[in-house]
Amino acid sequence: MKSLKLLPVDLSLLGLMLLCTTFAPLPKPKVHTIEISQMQFKPATLVVSAGDTLVFVNRDMVSHNATEQSGTSWKSPTLASGDSWRMAITKSAAYYCSFHPTMKGEVKVE
Amino acid sequence: MKAVSSTTLWATGILLFVALLAAPASAQESPKLSDAEVASVAVIANQIDIDQARLAQERSENEAVLQFAQTMINDHEAVIKQATDLVQKLGVTPQENAVGKQLQDDAAKTAKMLKTKSGAAFDKAYVENEVAYHQAVISAVEDLLIPESENEELRGLLESIVPALQTHLEHAQMLQNQLNEK
Repeated sequence: MKSLKLLPVDLSLLGLMLLCTTFAPLPKPKVHTIEISQMQFKPATLVVSAGDTLVFVNRDMVSHNATEQSGTSWKSPTLASGDSWRMAITKSAAYYCSFHPTMKGEVKVE
Repeated sequence: MKAVSSTTLWATGILLFVALLAAPASAQESPKLSDAEVASVAVIANQIDIDQARLAQERSENEAVLQFAQTMINDHEAVIKQATDLVQKLGVTPQENAVGKQLQDDAAKTAKMLKTKSGAAFDKAYVENEVAYHQAVISAVEDLLIPESENEELRGLLESIVPALQTHLEHAQMLQNQLNEK
């Protein structure tokens, strides 16, 4: 059986490849702003990557919140006019404003 | 039958005024309501819904109805604050007028009717009235108050209120469907 002999140069290249693979820069998480205005989440549907950050900003004169549809996963505090709230998103979710249940939005994590 | 009576009350009250005032206003150049009167009507219309929501908080035990009532209080108080801040900035003193008086008279009749009811009957009557009231107020804001407003900021404020009124109407209709299914 033929044994595999690696020269020091080969080993160095292999090491470099491993290093590059291990420490390849991950895509930087993005920040996405969801504006709440005229009683709507804008955009109502947003496609993001896992680990991205969502920032909800309330531009209406009345208070709102963003509540994950099932009510068990996440919920923002009450956002008075001008308030904002941020969260890291890891899973796709449908959400709504619990004060105004006909206001709905959706985040799709790809 | 009761659904008709609640809708008819607000329809004959607010909408009649809209029809009567809007028609001559388009024929003549001068508006029938001053900005001071428009501001007064806007505050009264919001206060009426707050008062009815407080009545609901006293008489209802339905969680969804109570949450809706709290939202009406919070939202309409926020609108009144915006309107009050604006009239102070503009140096306008809200002025009582026939439209506001009609609204208050109709609201008194509605409150009297609601106070005769309790439990599920109250919930249905309150929510039904909220549907009729928001429909009438949206018409009044769009067809009377906005066209009658001369000041741009006052008109802008009224225009910004419409989406909230529309959302309240959809919320009330959603509740109405839920209550009717029970």
